[in-house]
Amino acid sequence: MSSYFSIEYLALFLPAVFIFYNLMPKKYRWLLLLLASYLFFWLISGKLILYLISATCIVYIIALHLEKIQSQRNQLLEKKERSERKAIRIFYQKKQRKLVTAGVLILIGILAVLKYSGFIGINIQSIFSLLHLPITIQIPSFVLPIGISFYTLQAVSYLLDVYREKIKPEWNFGKLALYMSFFLTIIEGPICRYSDMSIQLYEGRKVSWNQFLYGMQRILYGLMKKIVIADRLNLFIKTIFHDYNSYDGGMIAFGALLYTCQLYMEFSGTMDIVIGSGEIFSFKILENFRQPFFSKTISEFWQRWHISLGLWFKDYIFYPLSMSDPLKKMTSWARKKFGNHYGPLMSGSIALFCVWLANGFWHGSGWNYIFFGLYHFTLILGGNLIEPVSNRLCSYFKIKRESILYHFFQIVRTGILVVIGELFFRAQGLRAGIHMFIKICTNFSLVSFTDSTVFSIGMDRQDFIIVVIAVMTVFVISIIKEKGLSVREHISKEPIVLRWSLYYMLILFIVVFGAYGTGYVPVDPIYANF
Amino acid sequence: MKVKYIVRSFLFMTGLLICLGTASIVVFPKNNTMEFGMRDVNANGILGENDNTIDVLVLGDSESYSSISPMTIWNETGITSYVCGTSAQQLYESMNFLKQALQNQKPKIVILETNAIYRNFSPVKMIENGFNQLFPIFQYHNRWKSILPVDFGGSIEYTWRDDLKGFKYSNKIEGTNAQDYMSKTDKIAEISELNRQYVKEMAKLCEENDAKFILVSTPSTVNWNYARHNGICLLADEYELDYYDLNLLSKEILIDWSQDTRDKGDHLNYYGAFKVSKYLAHFLKEKYALSDHRQEKEYQSWNESYQRYQTIIAQN
Repeated sequence: MSSYFSIEYLALFLPAVFIFYNLMPKKYRWLLLLLASYLFFWLISGKLILYLISATCIVYIIALHLEKIQSQRNQLLEKKERSERKAIRIFYQKKQRKLVTAGVLILIGILAVLKYSGFIGINIQSIFSLLHLPITIQIPSFVLPIGISFYTLQAVSYLLDVYREKIKPEWNFGKLALYMSFFLTIIEGPICRYSDMSIQLYEGRKVSWNQFLYGMQRILYGLMKKIVIADRLNLFIKTIFHDYNSYDGGMIAFGALLYTCQLYMEFSGTMDIVIGSGEIFSFKILENFRQPFFSKTISEFWQRWHISLGLWFKDYIFYPLSMSDPLKKMTSWARKKFGNHYGPLMSGSIALFCVWLANGFWHGSGWNYIFFGLYHFTLILGGNLIEPVSNRLCSYFKIKRESILYHFFQIVRTGILVVIGELFFRAQGLRAGIHMFIKICTNFSLVSFTDSTVFSIGMDRQDFIIVVIAVMTVFVISIIKEKGLSVREHISKEPIVLRWSLYYMLILFIVVFGAYGTGYVPVDPIYANF
Repeated sequence: MKVKYIVRSFLFMTGLLICLGTASIVVFPKNNTMEFGMRDVNANGILGENDNTIDVLVLGDSESYSSISPMTIWNETGITSYVCGTSAQQLYESMNFLKQALQNQKPKIVILETNAIYRNFSPVKMIENGFNQLFPIFQYHNRWKSILPVDFGGSIEYTWRDDLKGFKYSNKIEGTNAQDYMSKTDKIAEISELNRQYVKEMAKLCEENDAKFILVSTPSTVNWNYARHNGICLLADEYELDYYDLNLLSKEILIDWSQDTRDKGDHLNYYGAFKVSKYLAHFLKEKYALSDHRQEKEYQSWNESYQRYQTIIAQN
């Protein structure tokens, strides 16, 4: 088994789990999900499952210890006078903080060693070479278990939520192991919170026919995005990014645009399969995308793209940093000095910088990923800084900010900035990304489009027509969703003949126009590698 | 309520199968040529042969189409043979070719080149193959780019014949020094359970169609060794099959590994294939009493093919 798009998953694993889930008494359904999740993990990562088990043990033990400390504190608080309570709280707070810090450091430490030691080693070696030091270090290389970046963040969120007393720790090790390893969210997320998932996973929900149908529809939609669009674009994108020196700036820009499209279709298509698979079990899994390409600003884009990651960074990095004593003090000082707009922005920017640095690192161990994070930080910070100026300019030139034309301009502008970011994200290293960007700026030409070179790089005219049709379908559905309408509910009210015809058309569209079989190499789950 | 859902699901699935079936009919190649989108055209050239004219059917991976030349066999003995071998052929594909061939042919001998027995595959591949066989749309879906008017409602008519009868001609020489690749050992190379089952099924199918199913290992210093020989011997004993390892017949088939291979012992070239085919032709004729068709009227196309085969060799 390699992904949610494999025959093994769609034709064997998912149907088998669904059948057994329904045959199981409600009380034991979570146990079946746990077995299925561990089997799923084992089939992909084999013995690397030990990392997952270790992370689960660490989280389990620390969370229970935290609860023990909290109950000791509560018992004491009941007995003591009001005047003594503050000191007790501080004492136990420190105790908890030490424990939770140790837990988080171990979890992040394992992730860092596995994911970044090679990157750090290469950079240290480069410094030695630059300084002409005759030292050669052995650069370590580890095989990563699938979804380590996702389950680590889930584990950290669980620990911090227990620490903050938002949730009670799970006493049943098996149930916690299920939260950590749930097969639908382990590969590419979404990064779920314990409070959102625990009841759903453990109560053994009754499967409903309508939910089942909705789930199947969603899976089909995801399959179309992945197999018809993302996989068909693969050869073209691979060729452009691997051999960018052979193409002019126009083709590189087009490659970056198609890569952005591919990434969205692959990732959101996977999320459709994940959420759809969840729906057939009557689970409600967090949406990870909300029409991101209708965003008017980069900040908004990140509220609509990989939503669960953004929320995680907001809750566990941005807010704690912003609310920390040093930054609070800085805000009060800066507010007096720079006013109500730039004052809070100063301390907020420090927290924002940490968020985007972490975002870059989370995506991968390469300078291009760090650049990707800092690029978005710069754009958001820049947007905040020039906001007052842009407001004044708009009122001076009497630009109607609520007009459709202005919104359209904002959407296109944001889209272009996103595509530039994705160019660096996909490039074979930061240097390649810079070269590609320079080529777009200095060697831009449309010759490859007029002399039909564009149709000779892994995709011919017919391939492009199919991609355009499929993308337009997604675009229309996105507009309907953006307007707050539910496409599926709308379809469900149509007569059965029309409804079924639509389903048959979609299935045949995927079967006939899907990029699978001889001559195609499917895209690996892009986010699974992060 | 539940009955309603079951009936609906059944009706929906029936409709879906009809859609897939119809789409399969449209995309399925209407002739066995590349222009009509046929895959593995050389192996599928057998579809263009007259009914019941093939005496020996050869199945297997690239070893089969590199080592056995039906035209040499024809010229030597007048036995008609066809190689339905394809690159990296798995046994489920061998089974597909066998079933397909048996629809129009009544071979007396079916040879399975044994290298394919050591090509392992996952059960999922079998499922995929099942889907592909049931609904060729999954295999031929890419034909949407080159769909022809005849694909809508036209009948299937296979007209193309391969003059090489599935053999892949190569006169490239890239020799090897490997000589002692068949040094004796008691080791036994394991055969996967899936492949064992396929061999068993193929043997059974051949028996039902009055064909003798035999196993043949053609010479290859890269792919063959004594442990594999032992493994096939055990398999042949278990299913009571005839097994011939041509790698051991260094006196009968004088393979010169410096000249008779196109890729350092991995595959034979034309010169090696000529030696193997010549030996095999006489061996099969004597052992299984196959008749000589060279003077028969209905086999004249084979003589014509042989003339063209000679031209190809002369031109290269």
